[in-house]
Amino acid sequence: MDLPSPRAGRDLSAAAVPGTPGPGSSVPGGMASDTVVLDTGRGYALWVFDAGLACCAVECAAALSRVNGSAGPGPVQANVFIVAGTVTDKLAPLVLQAYQQVPDPKWVLSFGACSNSGGPYWDSYCVVKGVDQIMPVDVYVPGCPPRPEALLHGLDVLAQRHPVAGALAGRP
Amino acid sequence: MTPGPALTPDAIADRLRDAVAAGSPAGDGPAVLDTEITQDIVTVTVAPPAWVAALACARDELDCDFFDWLTGVDELDAGVAVLAHVYSLAGRHHLMLRTLLGGEPRLGTATGIYRGAGWHERETHEMFGVWFDGHPRLDPLLLPDGYGKVPLRKDFVLAARRDRDWPGAKEPGEQEAARGRRRPPPAIHDGWPAS
Amino acid sequence: MAGLVTADLPARSRGVIGLLEENCTVCMLCARECPDWCIYIESHKEPVPSVQDASPPGTGGPAAGGPAGRGRQRVRNALDRFAIDFSLCMYCGICIEVCPYDALFWSPEFSYAEPDLRDLTHERGRLGTWMQTVPPPPAHDPGAPAPKELLAAQAADGRPGTGAGARPGTDSGPRDRPASGS
Repeated sequence: MDLPSPRAGRDLSAAAVPGTPGPGSSVPGGMASDTVVLDTGRGYALWVFDAGLACCAVECAAALSRVNGSAGPGPVQANVFIVAGTVTDKLAPLVLQAYQQVPDPKWVLSFGACSNSGGPYWDSYCVVKGVDQIMPVDVYVPGCPPRPEALLHGLDVLAQRHPVAGALAGRP
Repeated sequence: MTPGPALTPDAIADRLRDAVAAGSPAGDGPAVLDTEITQDIVTVTVAPPAWVAALACARDELDCDFFDWLTGVDELDAGVAVLAHVYSLAGRHHLMLRTLLGGEPRLGTATGIYRGAGWHERETHEMFGVWFDGHPRLDPLLLPDGYGKVPLRKDFVLAARRDRDWPGAKEPGEQEAARGRRRPPPAIHDGWPAS
Repeated sequence: MAGLVTADLPARSRGVIGLLEENCTVCMLCARECPDWCIYIESHKEPVPSVQDASPPGTGGPAAGGPAGRGRQRVRNALDRFAIDFSLCMYCGICIEVCPYDALFWSPEFSYAEPDLRDLTHERGRLGTWMQTVPPPPAHDPGAPAPKELLAAQAADGRPGTGAGARPGTDSGPRDRPASGS
């Protein structure tokens, strides 16, 4: 298979502000002023895995189908792990397992009230009160459910705050 | 399925009572304990030993071939009630069967009569603690493994609501909710463990 | 994907809740009715000086506000904190429906995702700025009956288009509305 040769270079984009580490960034050591971006031939695309657990999955699917027509990747090909829906106690270990399958660099986006904080089920006996109880979250998108455009905005916020994600997303 | 003439609620109650009484062994006490008709839905309360027979009568004598749901109700001191709702597609009549279990709640399984009761009984078992004799697999359905508690019983404390201060407890203009005079948030009944 | 994400939003879209602080009397109904317990209100009572406080006590007669004619001191609720936790909010709208003073409004804005969960709790300043994004109420469908406020005003005045029922800045209400049998 013919792949373009990997290109290693300095990220001179404006998004990488010298000296400011990205908060909650999962890149080891945080973001230093010299960011190396390896173009491994994937093209400029932020690969998103949607863990659609409940109603929010519908809005998430609507958003992602507008942006990318083909079927989504599995966790192993993804950069961004979206948790959309209620995380029940029974399903939590599997959600965590899917998250652990995502290779670095990875970011987590919590979509909707249930995965932000438990939402309407905050008082339930079998609901995890927010997916950030079991994994680190980078962006929280509020809504019940949020609009599909809110997901695109949330990915925008993610790309603004995390320069590597921004570079993958093709932000100048 | 040949649709017969529509049965009135009273007719349904009478037919079920007769069928159950005919089938249950004499000397065990009355099988059908109570009949209640509310808005064209007949609710028949049977004694626990006659539960399975009553379901069989509902299916065979009253053509109730559609099994809708089975669940429990915690009746506090009276015990745990188990309710089943069945429906006749041909006769278009509903029937609610009810039984009250005191003490250690055990009941015969409905899966021999209605196969679809399997998951309903699993859920009733894990949420109310009712044991169904003869059920092929009474494993937890919705709760995580090793949960151990029965959440839908009335004495189960919902820790999240108990431990969180209700923002509406304050009166307008009050700095802090007055202790002792605290009004409870809605949906928490009297006798709730005081926090 | 960079830049502002816009959407063609239908009328009465539920995006975020705005607070019109001057209408709020701290009745606490929204905080009490919220099913998620996500509205946090803190307040204190403030005395409102009565009109007769202007003249010093003891001078003049009772009409001038001497001790015998002193007006009853009124007390009002002053809002200290009004916060809505949008990480919990399920956008049911019960708070907006139940508010008797129309202090809460829907706004269609949806672009307020945050990297920190605590920033999703909007305090009264931010809730006030959301009011700038609250759209005017959508027009009634053609052929729909006239709004109840207008009918009540017409009944009260006996004459259509005048009095408290007319919208400020217009000559008469009914001329602006589609004929609906009136």
